[in-house]
Amino acid sequence: MKKWLSITLGIVTATGGFLDAGTIATSGESGARFGLGLIWACLIATVAIILLVEMMGRFSAISKKTYAEAIRENFGFKFYLLPLLSEVIAESILLAAEIGGIAIALSLMTGISWRILFPPAAFLVFAMAWRAPFDWIENAPALLGLVTLSFIVGIIALGGPSHQLLSTLWKPEVKQGELADYLYLVAATLGATISPYLLYFYSSGAREEHWTSSSLLLNRVTAIVGMSFGSLGSIALIFLGAMVLQPLNMQGSSLGELGLSMAKALGPFGALLFAVALFATCLGAALEVVLGVSYNIAQGFGWEWGEDKKPVEAARFNLVLIIFLLVAVAIGLMGIDPLQLALAGSTVIALFLPISLFPFLVLMNDPQYLRDKTNGRFSNIAIICILLIAFVVAFVSIPLEILSGGG
Amino acid sequence: MLRKRCAGPLLLVLLTVTGCQLTQSAFSRTVGNAGAVFSAASTTLSYAHEGKITSAYAQASFVNYQSELDGLDQQLPSQQGAPDKRTVQHLLDLYRPAMQAVIQPCLEESCHWQAQVAALNRASQAFLMAGG
Repeated sequence: MKKWLSITLGIVTATGGFLDAGTIATSGESGARFGLGLIWACLIATVAIILLVEMMGRFSAISKKTYAEAIRENFGFKFYLLPLLSEVIAESILLAAEIGGIAIALSLMTGISWRILFPPAAFLVFAMAWRAPFDWIENAPALLGLVTLSFIVGIIALGGPSHQLLSTLWKPEVKQGELADYLYLVAATLGATISPYLLYFYSSGAREEHWTSSSLLLNRVTAIVGMSFGSLGSIALIFLGAMVLQPLNMQGSSLGELGLSMAKALGPFGALLFAVALFATCLGAALEVVLGVSYNIAQGFGWEWGEDKKPVEAARFNLVLIIFLLVAVAIGLMGIDPLQLALAGSTVIALFLPISLFPFLVLMNDPQYLRDKTNGRFSNIAIICILLIAFVVAFVSIPLEILSGGG
Repeated sequence: MLRKRCAGPLLLVLLTVTGCQLTQSAFSRTVGNAGAVFSAASTTLSYAHEGKITSAYAQASFVNYQSELDGLDQQLPSQQGAPDKRTVQHLLDLYRPAMQAVIQPCLEESCHWQAQVAALNRASQAFLMAGG
């Protein structure tokens, strides 16, 4: 009974925790600008994250090590600094976007400017990351994040997509001069979904919850079912953007704008559901990002770490957490729109993905860590292909976006 | 041998040519984005009066629209790919009343919100058309 309860909770957590500011931004803008023409990127990203999460859980359950510990142990300290550096750069942008997302959600509920609400939102993240036990952090925002499933209700209430719109699934409408934007959104979609912070967090979570080889079923079901359900929220947002925003010539360039599609479907209650979903997903993601980076640094440097430990017992881990939050707050206070930050952060993540995940592919094939549970050939090839696609697309689209004055 | 020598410059030319088609001019992009934001502002104002969103939601949204559109009148004339002065002036003439609606949206029943929606729609259509 306890085992099935864990599995159910795992699925719910993965479903509710799938979306964040990055996925909301990329999905909404994708639908508004290119109809259903970017759903393929979302599906590829979902397959990739399922494979990676399953591997990460398997690795930590069998080897009893986290990803950061294993990188340092296997590749040495100097090499470890490379993925760490890329992680810190990309995730500090993303953390600022997540905190901004929380502030905008509160702003949409209260009418107070998000810039005023940014510091309280950062304090909320700090207070939860500082004192809340691990299972609270993992489950509370994710349970609230199940509100994202109301996006599917929104599509039904709008009467579903037209035949003409459905044809953009396999024939995207990319106008002259918009190919760079299209590629930029492909890279951002892949980067927003395949976020390394999620993997560091998941790997550390497996250790926090003392997973063993008997947890492999829970791991597999969480990865496959939870992530698949979670991606439904993301796909539903693309549909809503395509059904409501695109015909009105909107581009989904601000978070409040994305909620208008839910307002059209379900009235003020729909708009409120969007704001609650935004709050929950951004809060969950902000906690995962700040903890993911703090775990990474503490584990790589060999310091005491653990969310269930008192701050004094893991002082340097908690110090990193505070410093990283302050960096994100400084970025956020520059006044850049959180949605633009989320898009930029996701694209930078796509660019750094091969650096972040190359060590993982090596470790997943090492029997010293995984005994008889190493990766098969299919998983290795699939992940390498996806990472290369993300890297090439980001490498091509970022300069184009900068040259054209966008991005 | 000749093929090898030509390959590099040819690739460069191809990339440059393709690059030009991949992106819009800075002017087209800016006016296109502005047109989309004016459209969002018009929809937000209409939804607020139709009861589809609360006035708090609308107020928060307008703060973002304002920051997206601020300073556009200064940027527009000097942007790469800008058309003749007359076209730019026409856009600026539509920008000002629309921007006024974005800065002070009429969210009460007592004021003339329909006029603001009309100004926003006019600006949106003109900017989207200028953006191609």
